[in-house]
Amino acid sequence: MRAFAAITSMSIKLLLGLRRLIIFGIAALAPAAVFLLLSQTLASEAALNRLLAMVGALYFPLLVPIVTLIIASSALGDERRDATLSFLVLRPIPRSVIASSKFLGAIVVAGGLNALGAVALTVVYGIETGSWSLVVPLLVGGIAASVVYASLFIPLGFFTDRAVLIGLAFVFIFENAVVSALSGLSTLSPWRIGWSAFAGLVPADVEAEIADIGTANLSSLGAALLSTVFIAAVSIAATTLVLRRRDLT
Amino acid sequence: MTTNPALVDSPTVELDDASKWFGQKVAVSNVTCSFGPGVTGLLGPNGAGKTTMLRMLTGLIRPSKGEVRVLGVWPRTRPSVYADVGLVPEEAAVYPSLTAREYVRYAATLAGVSNVGEATERAIETVALGPPADRKLAGYSKGMRQRAKVAAALVSDPQILLLDEPLNGTDPVQRLHLINLFQRLGGEGRTVIVSSHILGEVDRMSDRVIAIVDGRLAAAGDVAAIRSAMTDIPYRVRIESDSARVLAARLVEEALVHGVSVDDGTLRVETGDLAALGLRVPQVAQEVDARITAFQPEDASLESVFRYLVKR
Repeated sequence: MRAFAAITSMSIKLLLGLRRLIIFGIAALAPAAVFLLLSQTLASEAALNRLLAMVGALYFPLLVPIVTLIIASSALGDERRDATLSFLVLRPIPRSVIASSKFLGAIVVAGGLNALGAVALTVVYGIETGSWSLVVPLLVGGIAASVVYASLFIPLGFFTDRAVLIGLAFVFIFENAVVSALSGLSTLSPWRIGWSAFAGLVPADVEAEIADIGTANLSSLGAALLSTVFIAAVSIAATTLVLRRRDLT
Repeated sequence: MTTNPALVDSPTVELDDASKWFGQKVAVSNVTCSFGPGVTGLLGPNGAGKTTMLRMLTGLIRPSKGEVRVLGVWPRTRPSVYADVGLVPEEAAVYPSLTAREYVRYAATLAGVSNVGEATERAIETVALGPPADRKLAGYSKGMRQRAKVAAALVSDPQILLLDEPLNGTDPVQRLHLINLFQRLGGEGRTVIVSSHILGEVDRMSDRVIAIVDGRLAAAGDVAAIRSAMTDIPYRVRIESDSARVLAARLVEEALVHGVSVDDGTLRVETGDLAALGLRVPQVAQEVDARITAFQPEDASLESVFRYLVKR
């Protein structure tokens, strides 16, 4: 347990450098800033809800994947490149502890930054509409999407130095082009899983406005969260296996 | 009791017909040897396979063929073995944003040391890191980083210590300190395996040598035995003289001279007895009235020595 806590806190420290904090902090606030700017010309709550849905479409398919991609692919990727991964694996701790603590560290940082974006957006929305009902849905949806993306990008970062490039191709080509065209593949899209969790929690009036975004959502909040937990568990198990079997040259 | 110089009676670390290849490249080829308490030098030129061998011994890479055992087990299947193993890798392997003290403390925590603070201070003191221990590793010289890595490896008080070129980048004072430290650790009954491509370093710190060339075991035994095996190697000496050709003609008649050549006024002599040649050349120079301005042994690199050992 002590090793788990030590690796997690060290991962957070390594992943959250000052430069990253500033850049991603500003990026996380971007959807809120866009909403604030555009909402000035709108008066009705329905219009604000439509705007929220549009800004949400900026938050889920753009901000969450990019922030999570860069953070999560560094979690093991940087350690492998800097040869510090051998420092970790040559300790009397199970590989599963390394995999799960690195996972948690990446989730805390990426999820935290994405949560900052979600909170900022809902605060702006709350000020404009007086409704604070979106805080929990956006937080849950954002963190669920962060977890699923991290599940993919942590092992990817371990395998290749081109994780960011491959990740961007996955997000922009597969998710935002292929899946958008072939809605049957939507369960393979991490941001849509987060969107499903978000949609499952929002009040009915907002739900009506966002119905045509994030096409072919998972059937329910429960299914979205279950998928998230399942994908995370598979990712940790796979990373553990890879750490056990793969040579560190 | 074993008579094979590559094997020890009470091994803690063993390679049994171990090979490792990366695609077409064979890095380690059919090596059988073992290591026990004391300091063993893993000696060989750059690219000989020392690092690959050490990485196999720690379980970082799996042998393509054969077996590796540390305390009787393949370490990757039983991470608890790492409580008794410390590795100082050749590459950086440090977190630049940490101070040396934080780095060593992190190593102690991960090793499950009971009193992390005390163990950290003891390890830092052992390598004489001093006040710079609170500076970030990013600002450390290579020698200082080596000492920080040694401290991190020692913090769990391991029985087995593997050091990959640990003296690289160290200044003479640091080098002497580390050599004394490794000798002390070996004297305490720990298995200390130190890789180096510098014969003098290995000679100073090791009780026993395993020599590797081109991935193969070239020689094994105590340092004296290895040295005696090298006496057949002809030394090449460069001699600068105002009468190089005359001197060459006279030296070629000497029994201790195996061959001579003159190139651009520089005389090169091959001999099996460097010391005797050093005494004889001034006498011969006096006989032929030649003036010697330089007498420089050359081509005594470790690589040539080990290539010779492999060919034997």
